[in-house]
Amino acid sequence: MAIYPLTQMARAATTSDAFNAVAEPQRRRILMLLKGRERPVNELARALRITQPRTSKHLRVLREVGLVRVREAGQQRLYTLDARGLQPVHEWVVGFEQFWNDNLDRLNDYVKKLQEDQSNVSTK
Amino acid sequence: MSAPSSAQPETDREIVVSRIIEGPRNLVFDAFTDVAHLNEWWGPKGGITTRSFEFRPGGVWDATIESPGGGGYPNYVVWKEIVKPERIVWLYGNAKDDPNAVETTLTLTDRGASTEATLRLVFGSKEQREQAAKYNAAAGAKQSLDRLAAAVTAH
Repeated sequence: MAIYPLTQMARAATTSDAFNAVAEPQRRRILMLLKGRERPVNELARALRITQPRTSKHLRVLREVGLVRVREAGQQRLYTLDARGLQPVHEWVVGFEQFWNDNLDRLNDYVKKLQEDQSNVSTK
Repeated sequence: MSAPSSAQPETDREIVVSRIIEGPRNLVFDAFTDVAHLNEWWGPKGGITTRSFEFRPGGVWDATIESPGGGGYPNYVVWKEIVKPERIVWLYGNAKDDPNAVETTLTLTDRGASTEATLRLVFGSKEQREQAAKYNAAAGAKQSLDRLAAAVTAH
C-alpha cells in the first residue's frame, strides 16, 4: 500500500525510465499530441516545429520506455500512446494523491467528531 | 460524504487535491494547529512520535509517523505561512533542508456548515517538477486511453 509518498517518490525517480523519457519538454508535447489520436511523424514534426529526424529520435525514446506504440498503415507509420509506460508515473502520483485523500478523509471524520463532542458538551 | 471539487492545477508542475470537509472552517483550521489534533488524523493509523512542534511561520513539526507494520516514516514540516482561518503553507519533507521537500498550500473556503479544503502541491526539486509535469501531461492521455480501453472491451 502506498502510504508514504516521499519514500515512494525517491524510488520511482531512480528506477523508472519513463520519468527520464518525459523529462524532455518536446517529448511531453508529443504525448499531448498523441492523446487525442494516432499521428504520423511528419504531422508531429510540423506541430512541434522541429525536423522529422529529431521527432523520430524522440519517438524512439518514448517507444523504448513503452509510452508510445507504432503501427504500419500503408506507406505511413502511425504513432499512438501506450498505457503500459504510464503505469510507474501513475503510481508515483497516486502515492501523493492517496496520502492526501486518506488524510482528508481522516480530517473529515475528526472534524465531525469534534462537532459532536462540542454539541454534547453544550447540551449538558 | 465528502465530494471532490473541480479545482485544477494552475501549472503542469503541481498536483491539486480537493475535498469538502463537513465542519466549519475554524474547526478545520484548528485541526492543523496542534499536535493533539494532528495525532488524530495526519498519516495512517499507527501513531505519531513528535520531537518538536511549533505552529508559527518558520516553525517546525519534526516527527515520525509510525507504521502499523513496524518502522516509521520521517515527517519534517516547516510552516511557512499561516493566515487564520483560510490558508496554511508548509514545506513537507523527510528532514531539515530536504531538497525534495514539497511545498503544500492549503486553502480553506467557507461553505457555511462545511469547508472546502484545497491542497496544492508544488514539487521542490527539478526531478519532482518534471515528474509532476509528466503526470499531468499523462493524466489527460490516460483518460483518453481509459475511454479507449472501455470502448474496446465494450465490443
